[in-house]
Amino acid sequence: MPNYRIHKTEYIDETKRVSFKYDGKTYFGYEGDTLASALLANGIHLVARSFKYHRPRGIVSCGAEEPNAICQIGSKKDLTEPNVRATELELYEGLEASSQNCWPNVKFDIGGINNFISPLIPAGFYYKTFMWPKSFWKKVYEPLIRLSAGLGKSPTEPDPDIYDHKHVHYDVLVIGGGVSGIISAKMAAKNNLKTLLVDDKKTLGGSTIYQNNESVKIDDKLSSEWLKNEIQEIKKLSNLTIKTRTSIAAYHGYNFLLAKENLTDHLPEEKKRNKIRQRLWKIRAKKVVIATGSIERPLVFNNNDRPGILLSNSINKYLDYYGVTCGENIILFTNNDSAYETSISLHKKGIKNLIVDLRKSATSELIKQAESLGIKIYFNHVVTNTFGYRKINSLEIMKLSEDGNTTVGDKIKLSCDCLGMSGGWTPMVHMHTQSGGKLNFRDDDQVFLPKENSEDQISVGSCNGDFDLENVIDKTVNKINKFLDIDNQDYQDTNIICSKENDKRNIWLLPNKIPLGKTKCFIDFQNDSTAKDIKLALKEGFRSIEHVKRYTTTGMATDQGKLSNMHALGIIADTAGVKMGSLGTTTFRPPFTPLTFGTLVGRNVGKFFEVVRKTSIHEWHVENNAEFENVGQWKRPWYYPKNGENMHDAVQRESKAARESSGILDASTLGKIDIQGTDASEFLNRVYTNAWSKLAIGKCRYGLMLNEDGMVYDDGVTTRISENHYLMTTTTGGAANVLSKLEDYLQTEWPELDVYLTSVTDHYSTASICGPNSKKILNKLFPNLDLSDENFPHMSFKEAKLENINCRIMRISFTGELSYEINIESKYGHSLWKMCIEAGKEFNLTPYGTETMHLLRAEKGFIIVGQDTDGTMTPSDLQMDWIVSKKKYDFIGKRSLYRSDTIREDRKQLVGLLTDDPKEILEEGAQIVSDVKSKPIDMLGHVTSSYFSPNLNKSIALAVVRSGKTIKGQKLIIPMEHKNINVTVSDTIFFDRENKRLNA
Amino acid sequence: MLDILHPKISNINKNNIDINLSEEIIKINIRGKNKEFFTKIGKILSIILPSEPNTSSSNESYDVLWLSPDEWMIYFEENKNTNIFDQLYKDISSINLGSITDISSQLICINIKGENIFELLSSGSPFNFEKFKNNVGSSTQTLVNHIDVILHHKSKNNVNLFVRRSFSEHLYEWLVDSSNFI
Amino acid sequence: MFLINCPFCGERDQSEFSSGGEAHIVRPKQPTELSDDEWAEYLFMRKNIKGIQFERWNHVHGCRKWFNVVRDTSNDKILSVYKMGEKPPVNYK
Repeated sequence: MPNYRIHKTEYIDETKRVSFKYDGKTYFGYEGDTLASALLANGIHLVARSFKYHRPRGIVSCGAEEPNAICQIGSKKDLTEPNVRATELELYEGLEASSQNCWPNVKFDIGGINNFISPLIPAGFYYKTFMWPKSFWKKVYEPLIRLSAGLGKSPTEPDPDIYDHKHVHYDVLVIGGGVSGIISAKMAAKNNLKTLLVDDKKTLGGSTIYQNNESVKIDDKLSSEWLKNEIQEIKKLSNLTIKTRTSIAAYHGYNFLLAKENLTDHLPEEKKRNKIRQRLWKIRAKKVVIATGSIERPLVFNNNDRPGILLSNSINKYLDYYGVTCGENIILFTNNDSAYETSISLHKKGIKNLIVDLRKSATSELIKQAESLGIKIYFNHVVTNTFGYRKINSLEIMKLSEDGNTTVGDKIKLSCDCLGMSGGWTPMVHMHTQSGGKLNFRDDDQVFLPKENSEDQISVGSCNGDFDLENVIDKTVNKINKFLDIDNQDYQDTNIICSKENDKRNIWLLPNKIPLGKTKCFIDFQNDSTAKDIKLALKEGFRSIEHVKRYTTTGMATDQGKLSNMHALGIIADTAGVKMGSLGTTTFRPPFTPLTFGTLVGRNVGKFFEVVRKTSIHEWHVENNAEFENVGQWKRPWYYPKNGENMHDAVQRESKAARESSGILDASTLGKIDIQGTDASEFLNRVYTNAWSKLAIGKCRYGLMLNEDGMVYDDGVTTRISENHYLMTTTTGGAANVLSKLEDYLQTEWPELDVYLTSVTDHYSTASICGPNSKKILNKLFPNLDLSDENFPHMSFKEAKLENINCRIMRISFTGELSYEINIESKYGHSLWKMCIEAGKEFNLTPYGTETMHLLRAEKGFIIVGQDTDGTMTPSDLQMDWIVSKKKYDFIGKRSLYRSDTIREDRKQLVGLLTDDPKEILEEGAQIVSDVKSKPIDMLGHVTSSYFSPNLNKSIALAVVRSGKTIKGQKLIIPMEHKNINVTVSDTIFFDRENKRLNA
Repeated sequence: MLDILHPKISNINKNNIDINLSEEIIKINIRGKNKEFFTKIGKILSIILPSEPNTSSSNESYDVLWLSPDEWMIYFEENKNTNIFDQLYKDISSINLGSITDISSQLICINIKGENIFELLSSGSPFNFEKFKNNVGSSTQTLVNHIDVILHHKSKNNVNLFVRRSFSEHLYEWLVDSSNFI
Repeated sequence: MFLINCPFCGERDQSEFSSGGEAHIVRPKQPTELSDDEWAEYLFMRKNIKGIQFERWNHVHGCRKWFNVVRDTSNDKILSVYKMGEKPPVNYK
């Protein structure tokens, strides 16, 4: 097996051999490797097939910008993960990875045929081709496309890994642990600011940490040596936290950032177990220093995508950081100085290489150094083509014309096994723009740079367009001193020597004798879009960069165009003859690199998926086999199946028992608001539609609360406890919003009212006992309480003691039966309930849930806010005009009740529905029509509540229907999938219209 | 005597975090604005209601937490001063000086103490504990794991967390789970 | 996620607050005297501007107090907070 690991570095531990599997075959690497560096050490470049043309592709970069080397990790149904960048994945023992998007394998891929028919697959191919015939889309095109496209496979079973979230607050956050980040962090922390430094790599130091060129020195040391010292120093700073393997995913307003920390992805499986895999840090920083650096640009020429073609600086990192050479005969193709560093480094390790430089000449120290080492340089030359199917084996270069628009002279063919390209550097302005910052374009080297730095955010280093080391350090120090308003002198006397780049020449689309239509000049490697596609889009009339992007899909793959966006912009600008700076950029959206769903969700999975509220009687319901229903965050008993009953049977039994003898409901979840103050009565007058001033102490009253638009918002019973003290109940789901709304009116509209509101929802537990035998049960529980209708009539309230504990008992009814609600301090709620059950045994006291409650109240035609109303129903729509006071001057929503729209007679109004077949139960939500023949069918309304009533032995329903009030007795139709159901409009009250049972 | 059922919250101790249910704590919500109200309260409780936001005041009998400019919560152990609520209600609510509401069962008091408690709370709370943890006596209302809580920094690394009873078991389970990952 | 400086509790995360829409829309004292159009003006008409906007917020998970906020909607910067009943700062319009 070939070995491309040619020298030792301190970042690779050669004593720790790591075995891993790639595409089923076992290889070895070392601790410190990434999957990419280990593959390269084994001589493997070919790692993928491209998305559209299935062209062989190799590793291009060494970081987050990697477009090709994305792989599938693992094969377990629950743990497999697609789209992992091999350049970021740290190697661990037992790692299993495979290439994506190829079948049967990466070396022989049937989809490769697409490469030869590629003239038939231009930009917008899918949009153009699959338009017609329409019916083909769902049945033919989409399944076919899905089969052959797609990057990787999603896991099919739940993720067993643990993820976590944590909030942190810092004075200063520094993003990026390169030289400028390290300096910034040190300056901040030494100035007593609580500082966080994050870097996505395992080790700090950015690209300076493996820099070994003698021409770049700081204080007479190699820049890498100097930086290592700095890193040692900052590790000692007590108020500096350093987080490596941590990448910022999103930078939101107010310096709120999300960072993903990788905690176990680099560990072998047995060490990952029961540990948090990734943690999402929710960071608030007073100030943020962005030091995210820059990434190298590729060059756009014919067949620039073959395996073995990498970014020049990545070749350098693989060599000097990982000890791996990407080839033995390397050509570097550049338009700037940085490839010379790579060249010199390769040369020193004995790797044969030469340089092809777009520039006519160059004069910096680095160039002189390369020349003096005898490295062959072709100035003013351009690569016009490359060869080799599974890996590059040779290329052609030609001389550039004076203006750079075309090539001249003869082709020179050069053999090689690796090509490094360097098209200059793109500052990583993602963080700056995500936070809302704007960009400026610098024509000089064609880069977008942060336009302004605000008082709480700054960009330093190469992400701010400062490229040579002297510039980076000097400017960083000055800026940070100013930004943090400090006077740090640590770098005052730092002596920096570095080569200065003097010459620049950039050509976005390199010239070629071959017509563009016959070339493959790739811009976006991952989405397979070429220069030709961009030009076609322009030809077809697209102008906006956002449109060209979507039409050609450039920059829309998982790498979000980190390597391609600039070239796309450049080519558009050149073709359209406009200035690049005036085009703007596409939007940089979070996340910077893809996040797993697990990280986003954190520990809000399983039992923590949703917050759960339980009443103090919950345990009893569980012990008695209740099925639960979610009402807001509450778990409410839905029904209590007995002896294998289904829901229908249980509800029928519960409903019958409640009417024939007695039933008990846990009503603790209703919202309860304690109202005190001299203006409490006046306040109630203003918030409810009916009048409150005359409510006697000890009495209860039902109220409807509206919004200002006149629509029903909430309802409930309020009890007058003393002159200026009321207890209001609200719907279970509406409790928090009602309190907030009432506070709003008190604080903003009526601050003159002396009223205080305090939520006591959880202070009380409520057992509601109803049915003809309820009085007897109450009598057993409260033998000293006079339950006679004279002393304790319907809609009144008494205080009584259960043993020595105070209870508030309201005689109110939501079922139409004689009914009592017993409220007790919730720590005794469970005891109260058990005593009720015990006392009720001889009366078949039957616990019932929300479903039976809904059925019983529907028999009585009582509404449920939120079920029979939807924010568009006025009291009149609900046939509840009786509850709206005519006398009161004002209440919330009053004026809206006679707006032209609310007095329309053809509004949807609440009605009852009876099915012609009394056994037929309607579906809630079903549409109601009067005529199914004329099309389109005129929809009159819908069913809001529907049940089979055991007490009436027939199906009943409530519905909202156009002009419902005036069409009683009319026949309507409920069209269902397989039949039409005939119904008759009825009164909303189905049972005990005279309310005899309330006093039975 | 009726049986009391407390939420299912048992003592947990791990990773320098100690979580306990504080049983039998009386909590009273107090609201009012005028001068007479303040004087009266001061007399009954022998304590001045804290006027500075996010603070508390304490004496041998009571802790009083600032909740808003016109709202406070006092809490104390049940065996002390059993009739203080009645007295407050009589001297404040009944004569319309303000509002006194018993919320003893509305809120559950979970005591959390130990070196890592602020790490624990930060797993689920956006609140910045920097100042809070350095000041004994601080109080605040905020969210922990999306649930409303009142926090009182009783003594160094010892916090009383008040949460609505209905949420208390869920929050407790979440706290226990979170303390595994400090 | 904003940081909002509650005029009572100090700076807190946005998740502790709820927004209540445009500020300084006073509920008419005598709604019954208003025409449909006038009432509709109060009920429905809200500004939605790019620039400086006056808003109401409620510290719903804190002190439960409502207060006013001046926010530049073009960059989400909160320029000022003030209590209910207080006059809006004069330097914004």
